[in-house]
Amino acid sequence: MRLEIVAHTPDVEALIATAMLTTTSGASPSTLFHSLRGDAGRAARVVDRLEVQHGSILEHNRLCWVLEATESEALDILLSCRFFSFTKIEDSRWLVSANLRTVVEFAESRRDAFTQALVESIREVTPTIYQHLRGNER
Amino acid sequence: MKVELLCHTPVTGLREALRKRDLPEVDLLPHLSFTFAVEGISRACSHQLVRHRVASFSQQSQRYIEVRKLRKHVVTPETVAGSAPQLFESFIEKTGETYHELLGRGIPKEDARFVLPNATETAMLMTMDGRSLFHFFGLRCCNRAQWEIRALADAMLVQVRAVEPERFRRAGPYCYQLGYCPEGRFSCGRMDEVKGKYDQMSRS
Repeated sequence: MRLEIVAHTPDVEALIATAMLTTTSGASPSTLFHSLRGDAGRAARVVDRLEVQHGSILEHNRLCWVLEATESEALDILLSCRFFSFTKIEDSRWLVSANLRTVVEFAESRRDAFTQALVESIREVTPTIYQHLRGNER
Repeated sequence: MKVELLCHTPVTGLREALRKRDLPEVDLLPHLSFTFAVEGISRACSHQLVRHRVASFSQQSQRYIEVRKLRKHVVTPETVAGSAPQLFESFIEKTGETYHELLGRGIPKEDARFVLPNATETAMLMTMDGRSLFHFFGLRCCNRAQWEIRALADAMLVQVRAVEPERFRRAGPYCYQLGYCPEGRFSCGRMDEVKGKYDQMSRS
């Protein structure tokens, strides 16, 4: 099995921080986003305060992967979590996508090669959530 | 009302990853997401919006955010502004006073808000995938949709077409997508006019 991230929503941490602050701060989401997008450190500090059980905050993004896997491996993932979208590209090759909430909840419920690859794939996309997931593994 | 498309999934990386293999658009759409800042809509509109369940919403919370001057944060329908503006404004004024009197008596915001009207403005972050957006436009750009959410849907469509013109060229109300009106006896009967409007939107 091989997993490679091929596309994702840009500025994922700025969007997470915007979603968090929109609900409680009174500032408009567009103002928050434009401010946070230019300040990765501040966005990361806000995201670091996230209590992950408030999962809807993590849904404002989409990550896309190409997965090389057998049909039975793909079916196993699909049956474990209905929030992954799968499109067959060719034999044993799939376009897969999900939002970060799906990634986090999947990673917290399973320990296998696919989950490891899934977590590794978000290292650059959202370093704060990646660190959070890595911390939970220890 | 203010609507801004903040982010969307770029298609370039996807196309390269697919090694130029063409997937039908219908297969690609669920993998693309679009995130909007929606501001200055009424709570009446946001109630309709969140019925679109294949979407994600983060909305300003009245549990945490005080509505400081209600009369400056309401959406007034044109019909009301045209026919009964004083009646509406006096109700809003009185409601705002009651809300603040409740807060003044130590009632928490989460309970004082029970008196706030559907006209109260709200803001939210909203994310939908491409397939859900087509469905949203199909229902909410339709002449049968309520005016506020129709204006919102049109504003979203303009911005989505600006970043993905080919992919969303056929997006619009269902009569525009399908070539016939699925509303049956409730049809507005103005398909040609609707087609002209959404064709024009493509050109501009």
